[in-house]
Amino acid sequence: MTGVRSIFLFVLLFFAYETSLARADVGKNEDFSEALLLRPLPDRKVLAHFHFQSTVPPTNSYGRHHHLFPKSIYQLVQKFHLREMELSFTQGRWNYERWGGYDPISSSNAKPPGVELWAVFDVPQHQVDASWKNLTHALSGLFCASINFLEHSTAYSTPEWSFRSSGGYLKYGTLPREAVCTENLTPWLKLLPCRDKAGLSTLMDRPSIYRGYYHSQRLHLTSNEFDSNGLISGIVLDQTLTIVLQPNIKGTGAIFSSGSTLQPSWSLSSLFGRKVGERCVLSKSSNVYVQLEQNSVSQLIKLGNDDKGSHHEVDISQNFVGDRGFAISIPPDRQIREVDRFDTGSLSILHQFSVENYSDLKPFDLEFRWKLPLVWSCRQAPLSVSRYLMGSGNERGSIAISLKSTRTSECMQNADSSASECWLRVDIFQVVPWYVKVYYHTLKVFIDERFQTVANAVERMHVVPSEDKVSPGVMELTLKLPCGVRSAALTVEFDKGFLHIDEYPPDANQGFDIPSAVVVFGDFETSIQFADDDYLHNIPLLSKLQEKSRVVSYTEVLLVPLTTPDFSMPYNVITITCTVFALYFGSLLNALRRRVGEEGRLLKTKATKETGKLSSLLARLSAKLRGKPWEPPEQSSSSASFFNRKLILKVLLVAGLAVAWQYYSG
Amino acid sequence: MESFNFPKAVALLVVLIATNLTGAISSTVPDSTATMHTNNWAVLVCTSRFWFNYRHMANTLSLYRTVKRLGIPDERIILMLADDMACNARNKYPAQVFNNENHRLNLYGDNVEVDYRGYEVTVENFLRVLMGRHENAVPRSKRLLSDEGSHILVYMTGHGGDEFLKFQDSEELQSHDLADAVKQMKEKRRFKELLIMVDTCQAATLFSQLHSPGVLAVGSSLKGENSYSHHLDSDVGVSVVDRFTFYTLAFFERLNMYNNASLSSLFNSYNPNLLLSTAYYRTDLYQRRLEEVPVTNFFGSVMETIHTDSAYGALSGKQLKSGEIKMSSGEDRQRILENSDVQDQGSGLNIKDQQVTCPFTRTLSTIHESVEKVKDVDGLVNFGLVLVIPLLAVSSWLSS
Repeated sequence: MTGVRSIFLFVLLFFAYETSLARADVGKNEDFSEALLLRPLPDRKVLAHFHFQSTVPPTNSYGRHHHLFPKSIYQLVQKFHLREMELSFTQGRWNYERWGGYDPISSSNAKPPGVELWAVFDVPQHQVDASWKNLTHALSGLFCASINFLEHSTAYSTPEWSFRSSGGYLKYGTLPREAVCTENLTPWLKLLPCRDKAGLSTLMDRPSIYRGYYHSQRLHLTSNEFDSNGLISGIVLDQTLTIVLQPNIKGTGAIFSSGSTLQPSWSLSSLFGRKVGERCVLSKSSNVYVQLEQNSVSQLIKLGNDDKGSHHEVDISQNFVGDRGFAISIPPDRQIREVDRFDTGSLSILHQFSVENYSDLKPFDLEFRWKLPLVWSCRQAPLSVSRYLMGSGNERGSIAISLKSTRTSECMQNADSSASECWLRVDIFQVVPWYVKVYYHTLKVFIDERFQTVANAVERMHVVPSEDKVSPGVMELTLKLPCGVRSAALTVEFDKGFLHIDEYPPDANQGFDIPSAVVVFGDFETSIQFADDDYLHNIPLLSKLQEKSRVVSYTEVLLVPLTTPDFSMPYNVITITCTVFALYFGSLLNALRRRVGEEGRLLKTKATKETGKLSSLLARLSAKLRGKPWEPPEQSSSSASFFNRKLILKVLLVAGLAVAWQYYSG
Repeated sequence: MESFNFPKAVALLVVLIATNLTGAISSTVPDSTATMHTNNWAVLVCTSRFWFNYRHMANTLSLYRTVKRLGIPDERIILMLADDMACNARNKYPAQVFNNENHRLNLYGDNVEVDYRGYEVTVENFLRVLMGRHENAVPRSKRLLSDEGSHILVYMTGHGGDEFLKFQDSEELQSHDLADAVKQMKEKRRFKELLIMVDTCQAATLFSQLHSPGVLAVGSSLKGENSYSHHLDSDVGVSVVDRFTFYTLAFFERLNMYNNASLSSLFNSYNPNLLLSTAYYRTDLYQRRLEEVPVTNFFGSVMETIHTDSAYGALSGKQLKSGEIKMSSGEDRQRILENSDVQDQGSGLNIKDQQVTCPFTRTLSTIHESVEKVKDVDGLVNFGLVLVIPLLAVSSWLSS
């Protein structure tokens, strides 16, 4: 009996195993991969860009049980029917001029300060707001931040086309003043299968990360779980952390003949204070890349040509490899070069290092050392954008957005189109809180410092005026600028509104923030194209770099000082009014109620009371006994004088008697 | 006919009131002895904003670290921090908070879960957390999901005064608000025992309105006293810890979760000369003797273990235990019912014991009662008449 049973069980198990195997073959599996890209920046800093990608096949073919993909994110997608979502926590501001504004990393990872959240929902139009509200609460619980402040209709908006086209299913909100710290990074790391215990994420030493100049932690997910049309790829979750760090200044003593100083050398352990020990075994690939930008590569080539003859450079150690200009302590596993499409000459180079062969005993530590001083600049967006406030006083002001041409783009523009009709289109998306009441009819456009009519300069425009305490003001417009434009400016006036006393934050004196405006250069797409290689497409970071993305810039956050009431005023008013009322009514009542005659009588009765009831009763009794009519005792004052006179008389009488006695006896 | 009706009506009224009262008593007072201590929660609040209040955040984070070390998990700690000090631009040590100038211990660590922060730390949110009245969308991590077997530690630090505690320098939590919230928590059976620890100036005044059973309150200073900071860290540039919290932590640093140190030993460890204020603790609402209550009952997550005889008897043992508890609670209820019966029967006889609300009926009933008591009415009347005669004579003689 038991034998039969066990055989049956075995057969059952075998079938189960077979089916599971078959299923694994049919469906794609969950994937996780990690990568770190390091890039020296021209202003002696280093950019570190971590990229983690988790993917899960769609539910209907794979089921609901996951090994690698974070359950909390999966539940978010299922509950709120998210099609796409991006959440970023940023501290500091991306320096577009120095760190570049045209490459794929800056255009997708330079984010406005604080929290930015946008999401595209796959629910009927009337449910979008409710879904957004619940999503903000869920995210606030998940990431330890007050994202739930975005639930109010005054805090989010619905961009039509300038930010991203989505037909009303996209909601966008920012919290410019949200603090970003360890408590936001920790839950973000908990979404990774290895957390920060193994793999590249072990480098994330909190104090060294938050010491940086810029810090942006981003979570981006796309899902087509709910798509009815064919292409089903499941959920893709990209987590990136972009930081700009200042390497410790060392080895910069040598000053070269050109007078310029050497860029600081750095290593993983000097940047992060840690090394990569054990790799994350759940990761499909874990690589470190060192990227040299186009401009720095071209400079290096130039240097190499110049230094052909001279011998003043000395190789520090034999195991250092690299160009003449720099050295890396570990030989790269692979060198990936950008494919030149336009014959521009300069190309970026990626050195790939795999951390898979390292362990705790032999940790991975990469050292990058400059050998020659190098000066270069990053590629910039066609126009550099800044935004500022104009006007003074607490009543009104105006917002100005200025766009200045960067020389590099000008050259490129000339190269791109030599036709006479050449336009540069710039999309601007700006959200203004309701208490800054913008007059959109005052919009003025200046191109090359000359006034232009709005109809001339603005191709299309979409304005949603703010409604007090209901919704913020939204302005979307597409500027049409001639290609040779040097500068353009855009001003719009506003009045400052008043808040209810309960609506002021505790630190209202600090001012109120106007979130960053988003400037999208719609005609430009950025990507780094590598040689066609299947291997490169399997690495998410590289495929992200190869993806064409729009060039986006964020402007500064504006700080608007609003009139703040004296918050202790209500108490002062209450106190002073109460005092005045008390004085007035007190004196009035006194005057009305006081009766002078009554007072005298009151005094009289008091005096009788003072003698005591018992004594008066006794006096009355004695008077009755003596048969005399009883009379009440007289006023104390009069009686006192009466008694005084009597006393004097008595004294005089006694004195007279004494004198007489003396006279007669003596 | 009327004279017969009256006492009957009164008696009926009294009976009704008595039944209501006993019913109310049996429903409002949960038999706290019957429910076991099953879980621990902590609500840690730093109410002060701005950089110069660094020490309040350090206080709260120190307590957070302590309760976590003693075994309360993160999902049972509600941490409220009114400002961001760790990543503040003024902080020379980014992502780090210290409570001592030796900088040996980074309180912010790698694993801090802040549930409410910044502008979210308001009186409204604090009271919502205590009473459990949230919007539907609020996630579980931001709720105090305690039950009638919970021991809750509420720690608050900030700037306070006579019967209030300031939140964010803009609003106040008054002692009445706190007492009302605690009362409501008791009614909703959200805790078994509650320890409120407050480190502010005049902290003792915050407890003056509390009157719910099972509440223990500890404050750093009496009315009219200030609560001082312990020392200044010249590298950070501000004071880093308050005295009361510093000595509380000094007490806990010696302990681990297996220690049996009692609450009274904690309370006795406060030395007024070191604190520069008098630590105050209110125990009149608390049933157990402080000497018998280990500190880990509030600051840790140490439950009483149930010993079972056999290895697999754990489940059955538990059931047995719970069965016993149920039985005893059932008996209690029965007893209460019996008592109410006795009262019902007795109430008809001695009306004096019952509190009747209407004064008119009360006087009537007393008169009625006294009249009924006296048997010899004629003698009383005669005695009264005899007494009146001399009085009459004296007064007429006097007035004539």
